[in-house]
Amino acid sequence: MGLETKPKVDAADAAMERYSNGDDAAFAELYDAIAPRLLGFLRRVSRDAIVAEDLMQQTFLQMHRARGSFISGARVKPWAFAIAKRLLIDDARRRQVELRLFSHLRGKGFAMTCQPAMPDAADQLHARRLEHCVQQRLDALPDNQRIAFRLVKEEGLSLKKTAELLGTSVTAVKLRTHRAYTAVRSVFRERPL
Amino acid sequence: MITNLKTRVLSTAAAEPSPTRAAIKSRNKLLSLLAGTAGMVAFVIFALFMSDSRLVRLGGEVTPHHHLQRSVWLVVTTAGGALGVAATALWLALWRGRSMLGRSRSLLLYGTALTPICLFAWKVLCSMVFGYPMIEWPERPGLRCLSLSLLIAIGPLLTFLAVRRTAPVRPALNGASMGVAAGACAWGAVDLWCPVAALPHLLLGHALPLCILAAIGALLGEAVLKVRHR
Repeated sequence: MGLETKPKVDAADAAMERYSNGDDAAFAELYDAIAPRLLGFLRRVSRDAIVAEDLMQQTFLQMHRARGSFISGARVKPWAFAIAKRLLIDDARRRQVELRLFSHLRGKGFAMTCQPAMPDAADQLHARRLEHCVQQRLDALPDNQRIAFRLVKEEGLSLKKTAELLGTSVTAVKLRTHRAYTAVRSVFRERPL
Repeated sequence: MITNLKTRVLSTAAAEPSPTRAAIKSRNKLLSLLAGTAGMVAFVIFALFMSDSRLVRLGGEVTPHHHLQRSVWLVVTTAGGALGVAATALWLALWRGRSMLGRSRSLLLYGTALTPICLFAWKVLCSMVFGYPMIEWPERPGLRCLSLSLLIAIGPLLTFLAVRRTAPVRPALNGASMGVAAGACAWGAVDLWCPVAALPHLLLGHALPLCILAAIGALLGEAVLKVRHR
């Protein structure tokens, strides 16, 4: 009885492979394998649950439309994240255009204010304020730094995979992540725990 | 909420038919055949219609250098090298290996930039080695070659874009690379027809179309291949 070593096949890759060959039931499996992480990423980057869900639906639709051109043996997750990232950028641009168009409406009723939730203890309040400050600092960063930071630090993707996803070099990802990290760290220096 | 979302995603996908791999394969074969035929038909019609003998019959001017005959070896060597470069450009532009994200930015950039340079250098080198006169033909500045190259290459370029369908990363660069690959194929065909080896002619009639096609490819790539919220 010998030990059989089979190459480890990702569940998502296997499901996509079957789906591209015409097995429609595999789409649900593909969804289960990718959706939680993808939705988490979209929620964190967009900071809006409704937008995140809409973008995820769009991402899966794009994958569905392009299933026939899926390369056999390719990895599906970097592709899904790349589509999601592109849709996020597209969506953000659209929103900017809409905001510019409707800027005259921005007044009392249209102002978006971010109010912290009601604290029930002083440390919770402090934590929320810190979180708010970190968020603000991240928002102020250029898109490329913020997305690299989210993918590496929050999604836990490797530098290589992030570089592949963002279409840049590993060195550039390191640099972007480090800059974002420095910016976030400065919040803790200004407001010590 | 997650379950609702899943139901929504699955039902939206089910409502929209999408071709499977087998369907895409046969569609791509048909598209490739069409592109190849369109390129060849464009070449044959243009080359026949615009040949010197045809122009003479139509009352056009005969080039004073028409007595210059290229040796078969020069034609074979030049076209062979050009086809080799074109094959490499096609491989770079169309083959994605085992990644859905395609080639890296640097590879696409180098491929796009180096293809015209290699083709140009090969043509000049062959002319020098075979002792073919690289003299000016004032009546052939290169406009015919420019139009022929664009005419041959536009069909394949559109086919490449249709075959790729989508590029979530670097759509413009992918499009430019496809444009240059289509242009490189056209260069090989035009090279069989055009005997002029003067440098200004080569730059205007043979190299410029590749730059134009790269620009068209980049624009179309951004418009067609880019992933958009629909």
